Amino acid sequence: MRTRLSDALSLVVVLTILLFILAPILVLIFSAFDGGNIFRFPPRFYSLRWFEAALNHPEYRSSLWISTLLGVISTLIAVTLASLAAFGLVRGRPRYGLALEVLLLAPLTLPLVVWAIALLSIYAELGMNGTLPGLILAHVTITLPFAARIMIATFKEIDPRLEAAAKSLGAPPSAVLRRITLPLALPGLLSSTAIAFLVSFNDVVVTTLIAGAGWITFPVRTFSRLRTEGIDPTTIAIGAMIVVFTIVLIVVGQRLFQLSRRL
Amino acid sequence: MKPQITGMLVAPAAALMFGVFVLPFLFLLVLSFWSQVPGSLGLDTSFTLANYVRIFGDSYYLGGLWTTLWLSGLVTLICLVLALPLSRWIVLRAGRAKGLIIGLSILPLVCGALLPTLGLVNLLSPLGFINGALKSMGVIQSSLPLLGNITGVTIGLVQAFLPLMILPLITTMERLSQDYEKAATSLGARPVVVWQRILLPLLLPGIVAGSLLVFCASLTAFVTPQVLGQGKVVTFASLAYQQAALVLDWPFASALAIVMLIFLTLAGVLGALVTRNFGRVA
Repeated sequence: MRTRLSDALSLVVVLTILLFILAPILVLIFSAFDGGNIFRFPPRFYSLRWFEAALNHPEYRSSLWISTLLGVISTLIAVTLASLAAFGLVRGRPRYGLALEVLLLAPLTLPLVVWAIALLSIYAELGMNGTLPGLILAHVTITLPFAARIMIATFKEIDPRLEAAAKSLGAPPSAVLRRITLPLALPGLLSSTAIAFLVSFNDVVVTTLIAGAGWITFPVRTFSRLRTEGIDPTTIAIGAMIVVFTIVLIVVGQRLFQLSRRL
Repeated sequence: MKPQITGMLVAPAAALMFGVFVLPFLFLLVLSFWSQVPGSLGLDTSFTLANYVRIFGDSYYLGGLWTTLWLSGLVTLICLVLALPLSRWIVLRAGRAKGLIIGLSILPLVCGALLPTLGLVNLLSPLGFINGALKSMGVIQSSLPLLGNITGVTIGLVQAFLPLMILPLITTMERLSQDYEKAATSLGARPVVVWQRILLPLLLPGIVAGSLLVFCASLTAFVTPQVLGQGKVVTFASLAYQQAALVLDWPFASALAIVMLIFLTLAGVLGALVTRNFGRVA
């Protein structure tokens, strides 16, 4: 009896904490349906007009396009480089393997705003501020460690004897890679692609310092508007769509390839 | 695998991280001893301590530093108190829902700093969700001030960085055998004693790792404090951001950034000492 009561109590505590974590995101989605100019609870009326305004807003459309472009290019480069490096680290066991792993994962623990301040002044010297290559280089750097961590864990889980068996049965290296290693690494590859894209697409800390005026991503535009004009319901509507997209990606990723186990 | 091939595979990523990530930190250190030529974007490359003198001689910057330090400590503590029961429940009780719950609890991490903050503004503002709900229930007459002060910033930072505490705790708890706890309980130890003598010492590496991540993240956060503090809460990272992005005094911004790094290093050393002196290995 006593354990049942304490079970129920701990469930309540846990659900409250989970609700606290998710509350801002849930409120963001909810408030996008408020028809008024400023969100108030309870809303006076509900409407979809801010979604319509968001999709027709030329500045936000171009920003979303820039965020997507930057996210796709950076993710492709980061996941490729990270996978090659992770494969080399796990299978090749180089002499300074641990030091190299720490180097690849460094941006996960070191403060990005500090790094971005340095990058800003270096880019200024090189004339790279506000250029697409400069932005891509920065985004590859912040997304690569996420992909590297997932890929290192993924390759460690693949039994090297499977590759050895295929090789001993006469499969050339390219066939081993194509038929054995890549299919087994696919869940990890998909997980790192999803996480890397989300990190790049949603980054504001680094991008807001180096974006310049030409390549304003959606988070950067929202942040600069937020400081000057406060919250604009159109932003809320786009934010709600991005959050829903993120949740769908995580839930689908969880179902298909156990995304959270690899973080 | 031949060493040459291993080298070719690892080299591009390692070179990128070294050249684009590590080297700028060294440049930052050098830059913090330079100065800005007044009225221009040019740099005066003669050695000067002026930037550091300015930080440690001005109560505005010292105040910002002090606020940021205790705010980060408070956020770390709250995250720890919330993450311990949640992680334990996820590891021991969640069963099949475990993966999904971990996935959802890392949402703030992959949504970036901005989107959850937008939601928090609507949650905490005078007309927002909490105040609106409390008013319509008749609990309060006038709105609680939850935005534009330390309360709002604290809530925002805890919400944003809780996943950083949860993930290392889950990793540590999953490695921990339940036998120690069972043995202690069967020998008559009360839950408080089990926590104090068995669980906390064994979980200490995870607690320290998570606390360091949360502390560092809070110390260097500027988006959440700026938006939720509405300019009224001055944190150290937002000072550095202003100098770098708006004032364009990069040497001074670099010095502010280096001071942040020094405090992060101190926190790391403290964490290592705590683990070494109080941790137990299972």
